[in-house]
Amino acid sequence: MTDLIPLRGRSTMALAAVSAIGLVAFGWPFFTEPGSALDSSHSGDAPFLFVAVLPLLAAIVLAELTSGGMDAKSVAMLGMLAAVGGALRALGPGTAGLEPSFAVIILGGRVFGRGFGFVLGAVTIFAGALITGGVGPWLPFQMIAAGWVGFLAGCLPRSSGRAEVLVLAGYAFVAGLLFGLVMNLWFWPFASYGPETSFVAGDPVTANLSRYAVFYVTTSLLWDLGRSVLSFLLIGLTGSALLQALRRASRRAAFDAPVVFER
Amino acid sequence: MRPQHLVTHPRSLHPGAWWLWALGLAAAASRTQNPVPLLLVLAVTGFVVAARRSDAPWARSYGAFLKLALVLIVVRILFQSVLSSGSQGPTVLLTLPDLPVPGSTGLKLGGVISLEAVLQATYEGLQLATILCCVGAANSLGSARRLLRSMPGALYEVGVASVIALTFAPQLVTDAGRVRAAQRLRGQSGGGLTSMKRLAMPVLEGALDRSVELAAAMDSRGYGRTTHRSRGSRRLTGLLVFGGILGVAVGVYGLLSGTSTSWFGLPMLLAGCVLAATGTYLGGRRTGRTKYRPDPWALPEWLVVGCGLVPAVTMFWSVRTDPASLFLASATTVPPVPLLACAGIMVGLLPCVLAPPLPRVGPVAPVGTAPVEAAA
Repeated sequence: MTDLIPLRGRSTMALAAVSAIGLVAFGWPFFTEPGSALDSSHSGDAPFLFVAVLPLLAAIVLAELTSGGMDAKSVAMLGMLAAVGGALRALGPGTAGLEPSFAVIILGGRVFGRGFGFVLGAVTIFAGALITGGVGPWLPFQMIAAGWVGFLAGCLPRSSGRAEVLVLAGYAFVAGLLFGLVMNLWFWPFASYGPETSFVAGDPVTANLSRYAVFYVTTSLLWDLGRSVLSFLLIGLTGSALLQALRRASRRAAFDAPVVFER
Repeated sequence: MRPQHLVTHPRSLHPGAWWLWALGLAAAASRTQNPVPLLLVLAVTGFVVAARRSDAPWARSYGAFLKLALVLIVVRILFQSVLSSGSQGPTVLLTLPDLPVPGSTGLKLGGVISLEAVLQATYEGLQLATILCCVGAANSLGSARRLLRSMPGALYEVGVASVIALTFAPQLVTDAGRVRAAQRLRGQSGGGLTSMKRLAMPVLEGALDRSVELAAAMDSRGYGRTTHRSRGSRRLTGLLVFGGILGVAVGVYGLLSGTSTSWFGLPMLLAGCVLAATGTYLGGRRTGRTKYRPDPWALPEWLVVGCGLVPAVTMFWSVRTDPASLFLASATTVPPVPLLACAGIMVGLLPCVLAPPLPRVGPVAPVGTAPVEAAA
């Protein structure tokens, strides 16, 4: 596996810290203690607060990951794969149009390493949003969540042949469901569809969790299942061919070859 | 006075100004659930978009956002009135056949639908829909692609990759059409997942080949030249960025924890954001790259940003002085008109004259300006 964006000490630290804060930004409804500032005086601002902070965090982690270490070949590969994902996203069916681009993010993360996977996920979502004119407060959340999808795809255990395709397809299925679970969380506090399904500040975690489960099952499980099944089929059927193509391109580009100037 | 300071000089406004203006209106909308100011914000964004949008494809996204907003309101009404029993009030509109839902979720299917539930859902949905339309207005007025040019230097690589993605995505669609045409000529019919596989491979191979060619072209034009950065400056930016992240983490912890020390949450969060942003900015400034024809930020930009700031400030002021007029006590009361907030929102309408008109496409300029156009 070629590692196009190697994780060095500094970028690993930035990625870990931003991911931790990102987890809180998604899951803060479950983390607020009764009597805290988000629970009492700022309960109305809480969702807006994280919407405001997350773009900065996404920018920081992308800057730390990419600064310095990327040559022209890596940037061109990143841009091209993001173009494929973005175009698939623009062509994708309606609101659940994330499905086909997921396969690109996962395969790219698998072939070119976890750091590249994170950046590819984020840039693919960003480019897709620019192409469709859908830039909004959800964008940083989607970028970080898709970055996680690509990162974890690069962390999967080594395997080859049929087993690798199966592992990737299974991962795509799980990632599709988890992505939906996490992405619904960010607007859950906004979405008060009635007291049975909405977030109540200061309630015990279990009560909020069960209400979130009801919300998830009634509103988005069907979409997410569709996305998961499609990603599973897409990678299961075309995975081996696409992996080969990506690895061939990686060999052709010779990412590992050191640049030496002769006098 | 240089021409870019004139509000009548035709040019396209800096997209950042449009985004800040829309953010101001969205912030105002986020502070009320009274339909009067919300509808006013909606009208203001629609009017300004109609007055100042370009012919570019993304300029149509306001319509898409408006449709999405309508869908959002309808979904919310359906959920609150048909599925939720807890949000119903005493005024019964109609009674649907009831279907028992298992479990202790409190959900229902059908049954009593009350006016209170429908109105409450409409108002809350309208708030989100208005915020959404503000974002849509920003999307269609200030092109996010042009905003890419103002990306900070630290995100240079990501910016280049995004530009490559935006440039080649339409080509990929053309590629796919060509491959499909070739398949049709060979008598292969489309449809199903196997045809998708046959389509995906040539398109991906073409994209990968192109990326290798593009990298060679970039290398030969001097891309990837790195400037020397001293150890000290690297340390300084690292310290700022990580100090900032630490500040944000501590601030978030302070906001979430229930102990008495949580007063430091918000200040810490703000300080962390400022530190981290400064570090990223400084880190990017030392890359030694210049911008080709940067978009000017002149008087009209400041005016437009100010017009977005006024609604937000007046709305926040009204929330403090007269909260009852912005959050209705009961959904069935006739919504009052909060005068100050509405006046502030009307200021947000001014960009339809304060923003400079767009340059007209085609040779319609007077004879005297023609050489300037050619030189530019």
